[in-house]
Amino acid sequence: MAGKTADEATWKEMMAVFFARQIEDGDTLCSGAHTEISFTAAMLAQRMHAPNLRLQLGGTGWLCNLVGQDVWGVPKTSVDYRISQWAEGYFDHPETFIFYGPPSGGRDYYEHRERYADTNRYFFADHFFVGGIQVDLHGNVNLIGLAKDGRMTMRGPGTVGINDVITVRNMFVFMTAHDERRFVEQVDYVSTMGPSGWREKQFPGNGPQWIVSPRGVFDFSGEGMTARLRGVFPGHSEEEIVSNTGFEVERSRHFEEIPPPTDEELGRLREEIDREGVLRS
Amino acid sequence: MSAGKQATQQGNGHMSDALGRREVVATAAEVAARVEDGMTVAIGGFVVANHPMPIVRELIRKGARDLTVIGNATAGLEVDLLIGAGCVRKVIAPYVGAELYAPIGNCFRRAAENGEVEVWECSEYILYAGLQARAMGQEFMAWRGGIGTSIPELNKDLKVFESPLGDGKEYLAVPAIGADWGFFHVGLADKYGNGQHVGSRFGDRLIARGSDRVALCTERLVPNEVIRRDPLRTSIPYADAIVEAPYGSHPYAAHGFYAEDEQHIRDYVEATAAYRKGDEAAFQEYLERWITGPEDHDAYVEAVGIRKLLELERVYGGAGATGRSVAGVA
Repeated sequence: MAGKTADEATWKEMMAVFFARQIEDGDTLCSGAHTEISFTAAMLAQRMHAPNLRLQLGGTGWLCNLVGQDVWGVPKTSVDYRISQWAEGYFDHPETFIFYGPPSGGRDYYEHRERYADTNRYFFADHFFVGGIQVDLHGNVNLIGLAKDGRMTMRGPGTVGINDVITVRNMFVFMTAHDERRFVEQVDYVSTMGPSGWREKQFPGNGPQWIVSPRGVFDFSGEGMTARLRGVFPGHSEEEIVSNTGFEVERSRHFEEIPPPTDEELGRLREEIDREGVLRS
Repeated sequence: MSAGKQATQQGNGHMSDALGRREVVATAAEVAARVEDGMTVAIGGFVVANHPMPIVRELIRKGARDLTVIGNATAGLEVDLLIGAGCVRKVIAPYVGAELYAPIGNCFRRAAENGEVEVWECSEYILYAGLQARAMGQEFMAWRGGIGTSIPELNKDLKVFESPLGDGKEYLAVPAIGADWGFFHVGLADKYGNGQHVGSRFGDRLIARGSDRVALCTERLVPNEVIRRDPLRTSIPYADAIVEAPYGSHPYAAHGFYAEDEQHIRDYVEATAAYRKGDEAAFQEYLERWITGPEDHDAYVEAVGIRKLLELERVYGGAGATGRSVAGVA
């Protein structure tokens, strides 16, 4: 770890470390569509503090445990065949969706998780990642496109399957850039609802619980489950976030300082997982 | 396709051939010839892996028009290519792109924004629910994912209804969707139409079940005995056509065989990025060099070149050591 001090972390490394910190041992996690940040976060968590993390890595249904395994690098895509080297199980992609039912079948699991400590929860996603071209005050995410006067002017990539995981306990909305065009009062199209929408539509899961950007983190502690600033990443400021956000920024009642990556976090990330420096490019 | 005669001469258990068991080996061009303009075709694989490219290229070469294309749940640039080549009228897919290579397919984006293709807005499980309804002979499947989103507003085929159980919950009725043809890329197949995936099967089995006719491109055409050695692995039985196509997923990966050709994909993305902005020259050049130029799949493979193909195989060298490769299979 010589010569790698925490303040050298890139924004991608900081995001990966932040995500890894939220993942607890025994959780289940699906990191489906590829991004180098969510992949490394899941891999780091499993190697560092969550050896019992039940991890579906990639969209091709491999159930992976990396403990004691040779990590050859960060997969470049969600369909890299070499992910199978870390796999202990597999299911076809359409079957993914029959593995998401929570114990008890309903809301009770989310309100009283402690009651389900002895249940198998195979393979229910506690965590999921969703990217977006826009996110709004209510946590609605848009991957469909941008509109002007009711007409689609920019076609986005498509919804993928995020809206299908109606049982997820915690969804990280993660944005790879933070500006007023992306953080808006109201999204042009909704591909995944924010948390209040999930409650209103009586979905079992909680939906989005965080918005994470290169600059900082929002939770949904505001009135009506609206976004509130939870913390600022090292090297960034609250003023910077306010001036780059298209909705009014207020502090969360849980506002906290987000510590930079520890030497251990950054060292293990760089030496055991991201040896090629994907997160540094 | 005359192998049946040889088999009977070997005796021991091949009498079924003498009884006229149908063999379905065909060329990609023969399969493409059976696709009529206006048909619906489904294409298997996932993102940058296991796409049946010889058939995709033959569809373009023959000038197929007005196709409805059902993509896989994370449709890649194989669908983007068909759109750019002018074959497509409607796209049924929850995503068209190639992750970090191209977050959005450029041809898809251009055609969708110009209204040149209709997009049947869906999500992964909405796509699967429609295919499942078709596979089960039902008119629709009920699904909650997509409720509260813009998807039902953008796709009028999806109907929101309230649960008849009286709990006030909303559901989507996803109508059955099916294809005239489904095209997939597998590792092994025999002449009778039994296909076996090597590595992930993606959504291929369900998409095949939603298809009225199925053609498989296969890395290896193997004797029926090899298939019988492990019938559990037969992922798509009873295909209507088997196309022997080593390196048939190039420029994309084939699980268990070779990785995707990064440079080729980046060149495609660069050419189509210019195409999206109105400069069509590089994309036309791509089509001529890789699609309309080579006269068949063998010529395409020759154009890619042995050095490149060996390099792509070596990327999976380590994966072979895990025992999941086709080692030991003829």
